[in-house]
Amino acid sequence: MICYIRLGLSLATVLTFVGSLLAQTPSDAIMMKKREICFALIYDDGAWDEYWEGPTLRTNANVGTLSRNTVTPMFAYGIFDKLNLIAGTAYVHTEASGGQMKGASGIQDLNLALKYEFFNKQAGKGKLSLLSTLGFSTPLTNYLSDYMPFSLGFGAPEVSGRGILQYRMDNGLYVRGALAYLWRGQTEAERDYYYNNGSYYTAFMDVPNAWQYQAVAGVWLLDNSLKLEANYTGLRCTSGDDIRKYNAGQPTNKVEVGQVGFNTQYYFKKLKGLGVLAYYNQMINGRNMGKFTNIGAGVTYQFKI
Amino acid sequence: MKNYSIILPLFCFVFFLFGLSACEKNLPTRIDFEDYAFVGLDENGGDWKPILLSASDQIAVDAPEDVNSAAYQAELAAVKSAAATRSDAVEYWTANPILRWNEIALELAAKYNLIPGPNPDGTYTLPDPANPGKQPLFPFAHPPYTCRMLAYMSVAQFDGLITAWHYKYQYNRPAPYKVDNTIQPAYQPSDLPSYPSDGAVIAAASRDILSVMFPLEKEMLAARAEEHLASLIAAGINVQSDVDAGAHIGVEVAKIALQRAANDGMKKAQAPKPVSDSIKQAAFDRFGWQWDNLEAPVRPVGLTPLFGKVKMWNVANVEDVRPDPPPAPGTAEFQANIDELVDIADHMTEERRRIANWWQDGLGTYTPPGHWNRFAKEFMVKYKMNPLRSARTFAYMNMAIMDAGISCWDAKYYYHFPRPIQTIPGFKTIAGTPNFPSYTSGHSVFSAAAAEVLSYIFPAEAQQCNAWAEEAAISRVYGGIHYRFDAEVGLEQGRNVAQYTVEVAQKDGAQ
Repeated sequence: MICYIRLGLSLATVLTFVGSLLAQTPSDAIMMKKREICFALIYDDGAWDEYWEGPTLRTNANVGTLSRNTVTPMFAYGIFDKLNLIAGTAYVHTEASGGQMKGASGIQDLNLALKYEFFNKQAGKGKLSLLSTLGFSTPLTNYLSDYMPFSLGFGAPEVSGRGILQYRMDNGLYVRGALAYLWRGQTEAERDYYYNNGSYYTAFMDVPNAWQYQAVAGVWLLDNSLKLEANYTGLRCTSGDDIRKYNAGQPTNKVEVGQVGFNTQYYFKKLKGLGVLAYYNQMINGRNMGKFTNIGAGVTYQFKI
Repeated sequence: MKNYSIILPLFCFVFFLFGLSACEKNLPTRIDFEDYAFVGLDENGGDWKPILLSASDQIAVDAPEDVNSAAYQAELAAVKSAAATRSDAVEYWTANPILRWNEIALELAAKYNLIPGPNPDGTYTLPDPANPGKQPLFPFAHPPYTCRMLAYMSVAQFDGLITAWHYKYQYNRPAPYKVDNTIQPAYQPSDLPSYPSDGAVIAAASRDILSVMFPLEKEMLAARAEEHLASLIAAGINVQSDVDAGAHIGVEVAKIALQRAANDGMKKAQAPKPVSDSIKQAAFDRFGWQWDNLEAPVRPVGLTPLFGKVKMWNVANVEDVRPDPPPAPGTAEFQANIDELVDIADHMTEERRRIANWWQDGLGTYTPPGHWNRFAKEFMVKYKMNPLRSARTFAYMNMAIMDAGISCWDAKYYYHFPRPIQTIPGFKTIAGTPNFPSYTSGHSVFSAAAAEVLSYIFPAEAQQCNAWAEEAAISRVYGGIHYRFDAEVGLEQGRNVAQYTVEVAQKDGAQ
């Protein structure tokens, strides 16, 4: 009965890597029954006033505070009890409080994911479950990825594979770990020369692949209607260059992020199928990335067809 | 069980995509060309008029040993043994290594084209040529710096090759593979005499010019030159004495070019604040307007206020090519330009955005002069130019581009005209506004000058070159950082300045 859509990691980043907004949702361990459907609408308010230039945290008065607001509509559907489909997109708006550069806004990527539950069985005083998701995302519009720090996303297709292991005790406490590998393709810039530790005579830029990992601890209270959760999420690109001194970032950058987050979800008993969620995420370390603080809230509605 | 029927295609899909990523194309890191046969050898190239040298025999080169001498035979044996183990370097450098050295120069421009950021206390530190390794690193390879660097390298290469051609056809020493037919040249065979080596002239001159322009790259450049010089022997096109004589010319001609560079006024171009303030005040007194830097924190001095005073190559007096004043703020003509900018910003199209980005050539890139050097290289390959013709093309184009830049900077700081972000309250742009006055547009002037010379050298490409220049000019209007009159007057100014260079080219004997 529980709609599992929630915003995991708002890697909504200036410098890149917005893409995994939805790709991350499939990182929890909840499955929907066959023919159940859930819609969600989430608003995210992200901002930074410091960013990591390579590994060094700095400010830039010509950016001031970079704000990034996102509206994410999503839906999830139970194809089978053990196989769910998740789809979504995002409308993103970016702007800076300082300087004279124009922000950007528009529809970002299409995100699709299939989630499969391998097992979910009693083990001691709780249930152990293992799940896997396969995700795919691709830009829906011709937004310019090579427009840091305003770009809507990294502008390349992504395929992700993720494993999730959870232990949920009968008293509602749970812990979960997830590990994902993200394969990124190339993005096309609107120039055919760029510098990435050397010359590149092409409009195509390699967006680095990345590992993403998450550790979660939480609890379900009030007869499974209220969830409280804390998490740590990390992302590490396996290649890429650093932002050069006092220069703009580009999609080829090696992005690394560590983020802590808290979130809660509540399902109304009297309004059947309706739920609300809220979260707060704070980046605590990183590389080639804005040091984001994200606050978000959303509603979910679930029903059976 | 039916769930498992889904799993199999799912995993097949994963492996399919994995396979896709594995065959992702390698991205090109240099201009794609292969060695080609030259369309002509310009046997009379030794009679062409050099730029800086008084004559093609100003640098003396001794007569070589006879090909039958023991010394030559020993060198020939060395060629054979080197040719037995040819490395990738031979294929890389080709018989027209002018193209490769230009590519190296552009990469260094992109590497060093980083604007110094503010210190924590809000002040700015300038790169220090006396201490290049101290942050911010020297140089800041902005467009004026880069166009000048390219001009000196190209002129040195050209004068060096005229000298080489003079001695090649005076001494007429055949290439090793002509003397000994067991040697297979790595490149297309030709009747070009091999003493002194043209490749060695290019390697030594380029290394020495670039080492002064990019002092922190001295070791890298020495290694590249060493690899290049060795490749000439391994390729079977030169013996060691050919290489030594060519390198001697390269070293000597670079000295002469660097002597001019040391005294051309560039050292004073980044004027101190009092001088910069007095230039600004003079413009205000004259016209009633002034450009202000709007960055945070404010940069105390614009980019190279005195670049307009640098010694020109082919124009006697920069004031001869100074454009008329721009329309004054407050006039109907000026307001029409403002209205256009606001309209463009409010109705940005994908096509205009693409054009603004395509020509931006901003920080971290090889700059607009670099972009035109890239076009020139592509034409040289297309028209199968020999190294001497290539050097001539680069020399005249880069002299014209530098003269155009000097003229543009003269106008920029004489008129000191404010940028759109200063005259339109709250105006936001999709391109970054540079740290110098608006009128005239650097992109427009650089591009028109380059297009003018390339049209002279490659008449069949004139239409294309002019279309490019016009698109480069309007790209700045689409980017929101220039008025249309900056671009249009800039195009005219660039063409006008380049004519002075074309007139010199027309009389150099290479027709």
